[in-house]
Amino acid sequence: MNHPRITALVADDEEAPREQLLAALKTAWPALEVVAVAANGVDAWDQFLEHEPAVCFLDIRMPGLSGIDVARRIAGRAAVVFATAYGDHALAAFDAGAVDYLMKPVDPERLAQTVARLSERLAPTSTEPGPVALQGLLAQLAAQARRPPTLNVLQASVGREVKLIRTDEVIYFESDSRYTRIVFDSPGDGVGSSGDALIRTALKDLLTQLDEQLFWQVHRSVIVNHRHIASAVRVDEGHMHLTLRRRPETLPVSRHFQGLFKGQ
Amino acid sequence: MKRQPIDWSQLWYPGRKLPFTPEEMAQAGSDAPSPTMVAVACVNFASVVFVALQLAPSSQTARLTAAFAALAVLATAMARWLWWRPWRQPLMQVQMGLTVFMLAGALGIRWRVPDRADREIVTLALGIGIGLLVIVSWFLVVWRAHSIEARLREQAEREKSIEMARRLAAAQIEPHFLFNTLASVQHWVQTKDDRAAPLLAALTGYLRATLPLFKHALLPAAAELVAVQRYLEVMQARMGARLGFLLDIEPGLERALLPPGLLLTLVENAIAHGLEPQLAGGHITLRARRAGDEVVFEVLDNGVGPAPDMHDGVGLANARLRLGLSCGPAARLHIGAAVGGGCRAEIHLPWRNAAS
Repeated sequence: MNHPRITALVADDEEAPREQLLAALKTAWPALEVVAVAANGVDAWDQFLEHEPAVCFLDIRMPGLSGIDVARRIAGRAAVVFATAYGDHALAAFDAGAVDYLMKPVDPERLAQTVARLSERLAPTSTEPGPVALQGLLAQLAAQARRPPTLNVLQASVGREVKLIRTDEVIYFESDSRYTRIVFDSPGDGVGSSGDALIRTALKDLLTQLDEQLFWQVHRSVIVNHRHIASAVRVDEGHMHLTLRRRPETLPVSRHFQGLFKGQ
Repeated sequence: MKRQPIDWSQLWYPGRKLPFTPEEMAQAGSDAPSPTMVAVACVNFASVVFVALQLAPSSQTARLTAAFAALAVLATAMARWLWWRPWRQPLMQVQMGLTVFMLAGALGIRWRVPDRADREIVTLALGIGIGLLVIVSWFLVVWRAHSIEARLREQAEREKSIEMARRLAAAQIEPHFLFNTLASVQHWVQTKDDRAAPLLAALTGYLRATLPLFKHALLPAAAELVAVQRYLEVMQARMGARLGFLLDIEPGLERALLPPGLLLTLVENAIAHGLEPQLAGGHITLRARRAGDEVVFEVLDNGVGPAPDMHDGVGLANARLRLGLSCGPAARLHIGAAVGGGCRAEIHLPWRNAAS
């Protein structure tokens, strides 16, 4: 039988449960191709953007971003199955909202049921809807969780000096392999205050420490201060870019984030 | 210290002055007198009447019988009245009533009984009857108030111990921890990984140390430190290089008495809220030291630190309550941001608590 290829992401901060789930999936769902494995929420989100898997198996308690946070960002663009241990307070909500979840240690029978349900939903002819009002439920659960404090100041080394840049003066962040390039603008400080600098934190790690209201991720490697966006321009079916108020360059918007700019 | 004034009224009435509230009466005083009590009262009254009638001249039998019948009605009404109001004011009212009845009776006798010797006997009989009633009413109120107070106290004690048991149950092993650990054990056993045996040993040690903890209200810290050590070993096996820990206990302080589960709760919190959310993990230090006349247990981590608007979760509120219930108000639990990031939790105990 020729199975259609289905891609998956598996994220758990602990090695053994992660490996166990991978092994169990191999048996229960041979057609599934695990394209990415992550050991924390930040990597999970980053890997999701890179590989765009169809199914994401997410541990709930993970460092960086919780499984709930990652699912909220995925926002229905992939089927999400939570993996958690007995006693998690989210379970009651999941049961009420018909959300898919697995209990650790993973039970092969339960996994088989989940796999059957998922493959049905992922089939091209499927009419089965996903969990009802998942986003609302996740937002609720995420609001209960503790967040790391948001960053107010960034310290960037420029030559021999360390520049302090107020976060709200940043126009955009751009990923530069393990570094992040900051393009900022501080009009009050006179000449030479505008420009760019590199910091030694990866963009994906920075993401969790930024104010979500102000900074929008528009691409796997771009986070932009929405106050500086002038317009979103659709180039063709798959491509879109942003123009900025005070900068000549344009920023790419990847497919996943184009929903942010749909006009009114 | 303030000198307590002597309450002279206790001389004649050693019972309750303040009325019970309707809630208290409903809670502990809603019972009707038992049939046995009513029967005993009736038999006693009948024997008093019998003796009085034997003493009195036969010419006065009819009159005395009527008087005692009236007294019986009065006594029943009085007892019913006092049963639902067992405190000082109603008792005084009843005793005034009895006094008035006695004066009226004495006047009536003077008026209706012509013979002087007869009069003395009848007055004596009536006096004894009413005197007994005064004493009975006094006993009734004192006894009833005491029994209601005892019942209220007993109920409060029972509620306290139920509350304690409930909180102890809540403080016990977190199923999330247990099942997550089992998930690792299971996988490593299946894949014949060498880490399975040490993890299983640490988990077994943890369970062995933890399960008996909660059978006592207070325990030497040594017992709990074993559980904490095993817990940290389990977490270290699971989190790998992301967790480091150190237990640093000043000699002698293992004997300090603590409500069980307190240190464990603080360490669990440090991991769950401080280190686990942090990408790089972190380090936990549990330190016990003498500071003046106090013993201080300190759990320090270098995790994400408490949120500025942090409030107690179930575990912490619980820990605080149990500390207060078992060690008194001098013991306290403080949680705040640590210098240089992370969270610091401190339990302060008076040394006498710890040393006893």
